[in-house]
Amino acid sequence: MSKVLVAALPVPLRFLLATALLLLVCMLALNTGSVSIPFTGLFGFAALDEMQSTVLWQLRFPRLLLALLAGSGLALCGALLQNASRNPLADPYLFGIVSGAALGATIATIVLPEWQLLTPLFAFFGALLAVFLVLLIGARSRWQRLETLLLCGVAVSFMLSAITTTLLYLSEPFAANRVMFWLMGSLSQASLTHVALISPLVFITLLLGLLYRRQLDALVLTDESARSLGVKVQPLRLIILLLCAAVSAAIVACCGGIAFVGLMIPHLVRSLFGLSSVALLLGSVWLGALFLVAVDTLSRSLLPDQELPIGVVTSAIGSLFFLSMLFKYRRG
Amino acid sequence: MGQTPVIEFSEVQLRIHQQQILTALNFVIQPGQFVALLGPNGAGKTSLLRLLQKEYQPSFGQIKLQGRPLSAFSQSELAAKVALVSQLSGPLFDLTVADVVLMGLIPHKALWQTNTEQDLQQLKHSLELVGLANKERHSFAHLSGGEQQRVLLARAVMQKPLLLLLDEPTNHLDLYYQHQVLRIAKALDITVIASIHDLNLASRYCDRLLLLNKGQLVADGTAEQVLTQQLLTEVFRIPCLIDQNPFGDCPRVSFGYKDNL
Repeated sequence: MSKVLVAALPVPLRFLLATALLLLVCMLALNTGSVSIPFTGLFGFAALDEMQSTVLWQLRFPRLLLALLAGSGLALCGALLQNASRNPLADPYLFGIVSGAALGATIATIVLPEWQLLTPLFAFFGALLAVFLVLLIGARSRWQRLETLLLCGVAVSFMLSAITTTLLYLSEPFAANRVMFWLMGSLSQASLTHVALISPLVFITLLLGLLYRRQLDALVLTDESARSLGVKVQPLRLIILLLCAAVSAAIVACCGGIAFVGLMIPHLVRSLFGLSSVALLLGSVWLGALFLVAVDTLSRSLLPDQELPIGVVTSAIGSLFFLSMLFKYRRG
Repeated sequence: MGQTPVIEFSEVQLRIHQQQILTALNFVIQPGQFVALLGPNGAGKTSLLRLLQKEYQPSFGQIKLQGRPLSAFSQSELAAKVALVSQLSGPLFDLTVADVVLMGLIPHKALWQTNTEQDLQQLKHSLELVGLANKERHSFAHLSGGEQQRVLLARAVMQKPLLLLLDEPTNHLDLYYQHQVLRIAKALDITVIASIHDLNLASRYCDRLLLLNKGQLVADGTAEQVLTQQLLTEVFRIPCLIDQNPFGDCPRVSFGYKDNL
């Protein structure tokens, strides 16, 4: 039923619809919370009191921007990595980025408590360390196959997780708790500094993705066929991998672990917007943003006077999505 | 004559991991020739095609494309002159037929250039040429093997190459499409080098046959010159008979052991 409805709409109209939905969700995100801000206030028709205006501009607005950026960035990286590796399960997290970030955060919280304020910075470098290790192994195998890189990512992930777990086991419970909460992911620390850090990375990645749209399409067939069209396959892959690593490392450092967005959204986009690179990349940016803003609003309002960690909500939705995809494939 | 040859091999050798793959190849291919590469498995057909795509570099000797050393071409310069149709395993993510054919524009477009009206006309024309008119919006992965192969041929046409390489283009195709694909390639009227296993297809469609055995060029000429009983029996190690193809004036090869003789 929904498929027939989608098929009846031309693609530009689908984008328009998604944009309208996105705006609506953004309005809801600004409106919802322990301090309610009326819609009339959002549009400037009604005066906001001091409390409301502080909440709006100091808390909700940066948080909304961060949700938009993190959602679109993670979905964009997922789409790029899936196409570049021809692997439908590729995801920014497969390259050990989250485990690296977790290790960085753990070190900042437990080993060097005096550096605690710099947790995001430590997490960022932890994530980069993980990617560096994966690339080091990849370079040794001369970039023969991207599958090798993915498997290296899994191995590095486990290795770094083992170190993190050992550190947590030896630490005092209170500090361990803080790390655990950080890992569950949250946008509550959002600030305009975060937004300024992530936005250029996401924009550059999107721009390059759109410029190389034909080459990315060509990668979907075989490497040999792409090379015969003049595509420099290995350098292109390496650039994609590095950009995605930087984007996801920055997002994980600011927001903690938000799983499944990069894996799930591109699959949705392929069925809703189409498969060629332009539709896939733009669609991922739109839907990723829409999804994360909606989930963040939901996680703020599900429990009274308390926030659910956003990573928990995305994981719950993601795992259900994954199962439904599995059954869909089995039915053919 | 007076025309620059499309391809010139002079004393080309290829060694990979200390193993001699191709030995002392010398031949010249003129514009417009439809050349078949024949030979048993391991004879070096695919390696020769890889040399032409610069996937391999010759260990000795030189290959020239239109009089210029192949090594002087950048990858994208080469892609603007040489197109390849090889076998595919089914793509994972489903593209439309138009997406696949438009990839042929990659060597001719700067990153920021969009598709013009003329490009779209050419897309239509290429698909008509391979008998897939009005299938632009169809899903590539859901086409039959023969149709996918023809879409790739349309992509090669879009690439406007000087030289078309076909790597066992008729594998996995049924009889109808084996003939269809070679007929379309012949009708393009450009220089074609095709590695083919079926000697009768080569005999029927190709102007010139190159027979490789153990990395050496053992015969080079028309079907009548190359498809001889003695040579084929020796190279393919199966007894064979040559007679006339009843459908046309080309030789027909039959292989087989006579058990009840």
